[in-house]
Amino acid sequence: MGIIHVLGSLELLDMDPNHFSKDVYRSETKSLNLNKGADSTSWGKTSPSKSYCSSSSTSTENVVSTLERKKAQTSKDTATLNRSDDCPLLPGEIRQGCARDVTYLCPYQGPARGVLTVTNYKLYFRPSDSSNIIDVPLGVISRIEKVGGASSRGENAYGIEIFCKDMRNLRFAHKQENHSRRNVFEKLQMYAFPLSHKLRFFAFDYSEAFPDNGWAVYEPIAELKRMGVNNDMWKITKINERYEICDSYPAVWAVPAQVTDDDIRAVSNFRSRARLPVLSWIHTESQATITRCSQPLVGVSGKRCREDEHYIQLIMDANAQSHKMIIMDARPTANAIANKAKGGGYESEDAYQNAELVFLDIHNIHVMRESLRKLKEICYPNIDETKYLSGIESTYWLKHIKSILAGAVRIVDKVENHKTSVLVHCSDGWDRTAQLTALSMLMLDPYYRTVKGFEVLIEKEWASFGHKFQQRVGLGDDYHSDADRSPIFLQFIDCVWQITRQFPNAFEFNEHFLITILDHLYSCRFGTYLFNSERERVAEKLKENTVSLWSYTNSNLELYRNPLYWANTKQEKVLVPIASIRHIRLWKAYYCRWNPSMRTQDPVYQRIRELLKLKEQLHNNSQECRKEQQQRMSRSTVSPT
Amino acid sequence: MNDKRDNSSFKSYLDEPVLENITLDDSQKTKFLDGETVVTHAQKVLMYTPLNEDSQILGVLTITTFKLSFASADENDPANCYQQNFLLGVNDVCLSLIDCIYLNGDKKKKLVPGQNISGKVKELLIVCKNMKYFEFSFKLSDKDSGKNIANALLHHVYPKRHQLLFAYDCKEPHEETAAFKEARLFQLKNDWEKELQRTNCPNWRLSMVNHNFHTSPLLIESLIVPQSVTDQIIEKSVEKFRNRFCPIWVWGIYRGAALVRMADLLPGINDRTEENKLLEHIRKSHPEKRPPHIIDLSSPSPKEIQSSYLKLRDLCTPDTPSKFKHQDFKFYASLDSTKWLSHVATCLSKAVEAATHIESENCTVVLQEGNGQDLNCVVSSLTQIILDPFFRTKYGFQSLIQKEWIVLGHPFANRLGHILSKDIEQSPIFLLFLDCVWQLLQQNPKAFQISETYLTTLWDSAHISLFDTFLFNCQHQRLMATMAPKNCPQLILRSVWDWREQFCERDIALFCNPLYDDSFKKTLTISPKLYNLDVWRQCYFRWISNLEIRRGGTPQVDLFTRYLVSEILHIQYNSEFNGKLTGRINKNKEEYLDLIQKVNSFFPFSHNNALVNDPVNNVLLTGDTLDSQSILNLNND
Repeated sequence: MGIIHVLGSLELLDMDPNHFSKDVYRSETKSLNLNKGADSTSWGKTSPSKSYCSSSSTSTENVVSTLERKKAQTSKDTATLNRSDDCPLLPGEIRQGCARDVTYLCPYQGPARGVLTVTNYKLYFRPSDSSNIIDVPLGVISRIEKVGGASSRGENAYGIEIFCKDMRNLRFAHKQENHSRRNVFEKLQMYAFPLSHKLRFFAFDYSEAFPDNGWAVYEPIAELKRMGVNNDMWKITKINERYEICDSYPAVWAVPAQVTDDDIRAVSNFRSRARLPVLSWIHTESQATITRCSQPLVGVSGKRCREDEHYIQLIMDANAQSHKMIIMDARPTANAIANKAKGGGYESEDAYQNAELVFLDIHNIHVMRESLRKLKEICYPNIDETKYLSGIESTYWLKHIKSILAGAVRIVDKVENHKTSVLVHCSDGWDRTAQLTALSMLMLDPYYRTVKGFEVLIEKEWASFGHKFQQRVGLGDDYHSDADRSPIFLQFIDCVWQITRQFPNAFEFNEHFLITILDHLYSCRFGTYLFNSERERVAEKLKENTVSLWSYTNSNLELYRNPLYWANTKQEKVLVPIASIRHIRLWKAYYCRWNPSMRTQDPVYQRIRELLKLKEQLHNNSQECRKEQQQRMSRSTVSPT
Repeated sequence: MNDKRDNSSFKSYLDEPVLENITLDDSQKTKFLDGETVVTHAQKVLMYTPLNEDSQILGVLTITTFKLSFASADENDPANCYQQNFLLGVNDVCLSLIDCIYLNGDKKKKLVPGQNISGKVKELLIVCKNMKYFEFSFKLSDKDSGKNIANALLHHVYPKRHQLLFAYDCKEPHEETAAFKEARLFQLKNDWEKELQRTNCPNWRLSMVNHNFHTSPLLIESLIVPQSVTDQIIEKSVEKFRNRFCPIWVWGIYRGAALVRMADLLPGINDRTEENKLLEHIRKSHPEKRPPHIIDLSSPSPKEIQSSYLKLRDLCTPDTPSKFKHQDFKFYASLDSTKWLSHVATCLSKAVEAATHIESENCTVVLQEGNGQDLNCVVSSLTQIILDPFFRTKYGFQSLIQKEWIVLGHPFANRLGHILSKDIEQSPIFLLFLDCVWQLLQQNPKAFQISETYLTTLWDSAHISLFDTFLFNCQHQRLMATMAPKNCPQLILRSVWDWREQFCERDIALFCNPLYDDSFKKTLTISPKLYNLDVWRQCYFRWISNLEIRRGGTPQVDLFTRYLVSEILHIQYNSEFNGKLTGRINKNKEEYLDLIQKVNSFFPFSHNNALVNDPVNNVLLTGDTLDSQSILNLNND
């Protein structure tokens, strides 16, 4: 039952196809206006009701680091776990501490007593009845607090409260007389915040081998070649090979073919953090491009840079279809102006002729962080039904999602419908800019909607172009109130989810893939999101010393496939989602997944999987039938009668 | 904004100095039914889809006794027209569907029924009961055209007497054969007996005390009552109930629990003895003599539901881009203040309460409400859908509506606003019910034989004044209408369940839910919590063309499933009949695959124009409203 539960929650319920009665087909027959002769068909003789018990009872199951649980269950079933308090370990994972008689105060099912184990990777709580296992990678933890002291009275008043980055809090009660809290607390602190304790990330100890090497997924030159670069207009440059021009950019980028190395140096001096405009994507037919950069260092005095102006002109000239260029500044106008005081600013239309400047009105990391904080307040642990809709409104979360999507749609519109090149920037060009370029590329290019293509997109637009994962997520450190933390990547994945809702068959991957990507954003098990730039990752030899998240996902592809995907093959290439709040919904399967009363499963997908299974089974049956018939026929011809 | 004009398909009619009258060929002209008469018509009228200024089409606007019809020479490929009603043209609506008429100008002004317009009418905005809305401009038409149309509408859209409805005039031939094949009608004693037998619910009997509506014209003729109750007791006690709606059995289970509906006692009656007597009989009917559980359904009232609906409709009919943006800006808060979803949640949780008592506790449930014929219909139907798989089939669902709504007398004529009168309370209780069913369908997609498209079409069809199904307040009124004396309009009964009167087979096929699994017989598991409910986008948003996702949305899933099912059938038939019968299936398969590649998110209700619209909608791109959010700007940067 346990395994079925876990799988069922993944919509992967392994159905026995024989559980379909023939009546299914009779009814479908009607809908398809088939010959009434269908009634005479007979096949599939079974008891239909039983099989549904398991599928429907899973509807309230949570998706908790599913694969691990599946493994745990499997190993339990094969009786490798002989002690009830043992916890399954990953290769490289080591038990650090253990406390008995701990009570997990579940906000939904009430208190449960059991054994709490802390490893160098996770917190693992097994209640004595083994029902509701808590298995949380320590990387998810943002803050740990002791609750109650020596004078605490009352049951469960003394213990530890854990605040997580994935929209939940956990509370454990310890018995004072056991003196178990101190050890757990210290181990948690140490391994949840390794960098604050001069330890390294778990990813460096983790040594699981996978058949697929995820580090090979993204190869910058191959990706540029896929888009047809080098060509007459764009060239690949390795000027930043030692990260000397720009330390937050990758080693390899594409720039207009006519640009000289001196130009590059001059332009990089005029852009915040030296993040000069480079190619993100090129339309293989029209040659219209999406380029990205940071804000120009205009300042209050309105400085100009001839090389920068010329450079932008070259980007525009590289696209023969349009005599215009759009600069999309992701910020609200007021913020862009305010940045002048700090030496930044935006391109004046006097200096950049033929360039049209558009502000996309997307707010900064602090606004987004605050918005998510409010969202957690509303969603966890329980939603007040009467205040649900107005509560959603008051967080502004969906509104922010909307403005990011609307910005990306505008970029797509310019590139696709007006064949005009677009330059995207915000202040530093590593948060909102990454959201916008990645989303518009996802809408424009079907390649990025495949599993591997999406992995490339994250590697390229996010990791290689220096989205500061470590800083924004707060990986490995205990500065929980750090102003540099912000859910920018989460917001991007949320936007992707919104698009998958609007185009249910345009993506090769499913919702579970997106949730897995987010879960491991925090887990520190894989090297993919560690550190802030390619330069740091190369210096730390991540490719040699850690496992890529994509090794893990690509070795379990079946889990992440969208069954509807193939039907899209002849669909239009470009997706234009509707960026109206009326189509934007709260991603309950992610934000509210800890609450069992939320319906987070999609029963439609579950049913489609059943039908697909049935089809496969029928297909196999009919193949066998045919073989049998042929054999019988050949036998009868051979036989001497 | 400007560059959009360049490549749009905008055709300006304004440049032509003199505009000839439009000539339409026979296939484009408005068609009339037998008995339908033209009231007035206007040439050279421009029709707009609001929010989409470029969508104007020039044509002839005709008002008849049945419909508002707009005919144009614009090409409409009938092959791309889905859910096209035989009785109406592409741009036609039945007069009964129209709810409000606005004079559009510098200021929007609602026209009052019965009013006579004497001034110039340049533009009219029409808002329908199913949330459809559209605009006409008379700037190119002849003098007085607008005025004549407005006055014709004001006169004919709001009839004061029931006999003025088109159903009384319609002379179209009708074969009275098919309806009973589509639903158990519950008009005859026989059907009630069968229902009692089917459910196997013990200790109830059929009483003919209301034979010939002898006891009450508002009640049905054949009542199912506790075995121990005599006809005399009923005759005496009905006097005490509003609408004479004494406790009536509607459904039950073999273990003994029953579902019973009743009205409140008449206002002024404080002595509940009569009610208690009947409840005691109900208790005795239970094999274990369990006292029934009474659920009070006095809230939300029809009035509250109507006010909630009007607010919801306002959110679904933005007629200017600025209104659209304004609504978008605080959509979830506005949705909250309509209270529509919380009314849906209320109905669903009452139904869950009833279903749980019946199923888990084998306890009889009595639903009680003011007149016994509004929320009782909703909750009673929902409870039966949750518990009884029969009612989730198309036949069963239509039978359920016959039983709980038509025959047990939901006052459709009043609630749907078929006629205008001071003492009539309009309220879309039936829509609230359909919305609840839609939520059940979302949460249990494989349990239903009917589709979302079916539910939406049913709501549309409720307003076609040709069918008798949703035309009357009660069964007695229906009967009287068919027996009108000579010289009075004679009404031919046409059932809405005869879907072939309205749609072709291809469209009717879309009423079936491809995810349906008829071996699923269990009680539905549902969460009536508001946060597990959703907005019924197909039904409410389909007229807002800006919101249509090109090549996206749920139709993609729906058509994929249809394709998958036909593939399964194909394999199955191949092995059964050696491929002899697969031609038809292959044709269906291909059609579904073809459709996947071209349909948009409101399919099959997509307006034809939506197919040629600009892929990117300007209303959604320009000027983000968050900027005006001063709170956000103050604290940051």
